Amino acid sequence: MIRRAVLLLLLLLLPAGRAAAQDAPLVVALSQTAVEVTTGFTGASLMVFGSTETPIGPGGDEILVVARGPTRPVVVRRKVPALGILWVNGPSARFAGVPGFYFIAGTRPAWQLLPEEERQRNSLGLDSLPLTSTGARSPAFRAALLGLESSSGMWVEDTTAIEIAGSRLFHARLPLPAAVPTGDYRVEVLLVRSRRIVARQELAFRVDRVGTADRIATVAEDQPFIYGLACIIFAALAGWLGSILFRRG
Amino acid sequence: MQVYLPIAEMSVDALLLVGIGFGVGWLSGLFGVGGGFLLTPLLILIGIPAPVAVASGANQTLGASVSGLIAQWRRSNVDAKMGGVLLVGGVLGSLAGVQLFALLRRIGQVDLAVSLFYVVVLGTVGALMVMESLRAIRRRRSAVKRKLHDHFWMHGLPLKMRFRKSRLYISVIPPFVVGFAIGVLSAVMGVGGGFMLVPAMIYLLGMPTSVVIGTSLFQVVFVAANVTLLQAVQLGTVDILLTMLLLLGGVAGAQFGAAMGTRLRGEETRALLGLLVLSVALSLLWGLLRTPDNLFSSGPAL
Repeated sequence: MIRRAVLLLLLLLLPAGRAAAQDAPLVVALSQTAVEVTTGFTGASLMVFGSTETPIGPGGDEILVVARGPTRPVVVRRKVPALGILWVNGPSARFAGVPGFYFIAGTRPAWQLLPEEERQRNSLGLDSLPLTSTGARSPAFRAALLGLESSSGMWVEDTTAIEIAGSRLFHARLPLPAAVPTGDYRVEVLLVRSRRIVARQELAFRVDRVGTADRIATVAEDQPFIYGLACIIFAALAGWLGSILFRRG
Repeated sequence: MQVYLPIAEMSVDALLLVGIGFGVGWLSGLFGVGGGFLLTPLLILIGIPAPVAVASGANQTLGASVSGLIAQWRRSNVDAKMGGVLLVGGVLGSLAGVQLFALLRRIGQVDLAVSLFYVVVLGTVGALMVMESLRAIRRRRSAVKRKLHDHFWMHGLPLKMRFRKSRLYISVIPPFVVGFAIGVLSAVMGVGGGFMLVPAMIYLLGMPTSVVIGTSLFQVVFVAANVTLLQAVQLGTVDILLTMLLLLGGVAGAQFGAAMGTRLRGEETRALLGLLVLSVALSLLWGLLRTPDNLFSSGPAL
């Protein structure tokens, strides 16, 4: 109840939101545009919310929310028995441009809302992700990547995450796990009417390391030599301090 | 209490890390070794990526060994000359080891290589230690006197040098080779190498036990420092936060362990350490032999 009230309030306070609500079929906003990864970071949860012109529901407007994180190349390896007993990494497939985070939620599953080719074109749904690979050709590698990313919570296909309030107001919770990659994220909200995408809104947020965690990672990346020296000195000092502290005790 | 490790890019329970540090520190104080051989596998077990575990393990070993070295240095139990020769080998060895590690990482066999190194090295060292200490315990009963050290082919090598503290006049080649080998292992396994260096010094080089611990700590501190620097520069895998949390527990644990260690007899301690080393090797071997839960694994493409 309180959450809904806050959402409503936020929506009303949006400068463009109120004026646009009259003519635009879809108005959306994000609860925060920056996620800060500190040394105490254990994951975060963002709220995507908005409203539609006509009531949401079967036969009327349908909503799809898609979030994509920064992409990177990933190698998937398969273990094979070597010498009959040892399990070693064998064939591998290299996937280019794998999203480090992917989230999709809708008022109904995407495959119910849109025709197949439309889903493929907009890569809506885990099975529609454009994953091209080099190396081993077996489709098992793609399935394995899907399984690994899903079990780590990095790829989420959630059909129940969108909640509707007062038939025109919707909100979806976007769960970011602790190991979420840093970088720029895109959130797309699609308005679907009679199996066609009639409107889309794009939002963006950034995941950034801040404070100590950021300083450590930045120094380690930009000045690895100084960072290495610092690690040596800090470790030596800790050992030396320990020996002094405990000799007294 | 969860803490986000900036280099490992993951969130881990800080108390768990301090606890692991304490446990390993306790054992290392008890047995007079760095404990890296226990630490790195444990870190990998709780889900720290192998490259980060190895690099941060070396960094932790450095910190854990410093206090021991200071104590030994005060009692002048360090043969700096012998340590220097070992160190030259060790630095070159760790340079080679880090190159080997980078190559393994590129071809995706780091986890296998680290496990295999552990199984072979720990299995051999553990078995030798258990056998040797059992023989020593039996010999104590029959009380046969042993020579200071045996002379064999090694003592005919050129480039002889006098090591006054160790009361030795031997070729520099054996200590150099020993140092080099430990350096390679140190870079690949993330260990200081004390558990291999100590027996090598006693049985291969014939050094008196009084200077062995101090001199091995001397070598371990500097080789671990070198490995830390090389891993940080070349692979960027040293996580200082992880290191400091481990040291926090480790430094305290080592003191308790050392206090308890003085109440154990030498042979019994060595037999226990040998059993511990063997059991780590066996559990890692089991990890390689059993059918994995998931045949597939993914990692960043390099």
